Amino acid sequence: MKKTLTLLVASTALSATFGLAAWSGPSAPLYGIPLDAVSAGADASNTPSLMFVSDDDDEGRGWLRWLGDDDDDDDDDDECEDDDEDEDDEDRRKNKYDDDDDDDDDCSGSIDTPAPAGTVAPPQNGLFGTDTPPQVQVN
Amino acid sequence: MKSVLATLALTTALTLPGLAMARPVTLTTQLKNYGGDGAYLAVYVTDPQGAYAGSLWMAGRKSKYYKHLTDWYRFTGGDTAQINGITGASVGAGRSLKISLDLADALFDAGYTLHIDAAVEDRRDSPNEISVPLTSDGAGTAVTGRSYIANFTYDM
Repeated sequence: MKKTLTLLVASTALSATFGLAAWSGPSAPLYGIPLDAVSAGADASNTPSLMFVSDDDDEGRGWLRWLGDDDDDDDDDDECEDDDEDEDDEDRRKNKYDDDDDDDDDCSGSIDTPAPAGTVAPPQNGLFGTDTPPQVQVN
Repeated sequence: MKSVLATLALTTALTLPGLAMARPVTLTTQLKNYGGDGAYLAVYVTDPQGAYAGSLWMAGRKSKYYKHLTDWYRFTGGDTAQINGITGASVGAGRSLKISLDLADALFDAGYTLHIDAAVEDRRDSPNEISVPLTSDGAGTAVTGRSYIANFTYDM
């Protein structure tokens, strides 16, 4: 009986020690913000919670909005967007085009972009005697 | 020995027609010093009836500008499949574009015509800037362009 009580006291003491340490101990910052501040904010407000950190659909609500919402368009659907549409409109009005020919804004896989020479065989239009791609030299 | 000779004769007989159906041709386009940006050039061929037969080269990679190559665009609707594998960079003013390719023998002395449309930023579009019949006799003869091309020659 005495042995049982001793074990019970020891386990309780251990639990209390680690439990209290874990309960009051965290001081490491969360995403650069001290947890104390997060806790204080959560207590002071009715609605904000840590869920807001990763919930970027709730724009304008909650004081933690900025933690997870950088207003970026994260849907990745703009890879093929033309970054100079305004210029293009102007060009169309003037019936001209720019000479940005560096291909850095090409959208790979676009059906509107022809395959460069050497990447595929010439078209089978009956003009080419062989499948050998044309050789080009600019001086 | 006899079988070797027979094999050699057979392979030669099979190869020669193929070689005879294509001929190496060099297309040389010398641009004028017009003082503008690089020119888009569409090189294409029409058949004896004047119908579009196909493209040989497109200088200029951005399809959104192809509408300025007005005749080529009218024939093709801007279909980039027509120029897959035969597209390169636009050509700067004063530069010379030399294209070496194997052309079907049937195109020569048969009423086919080679055309070049040209377009330059801030300048007037120039459809059919070059129009030259593909003939054996015409090889090596320089043809003068109207706007941006100083001269064009095809050599065989």
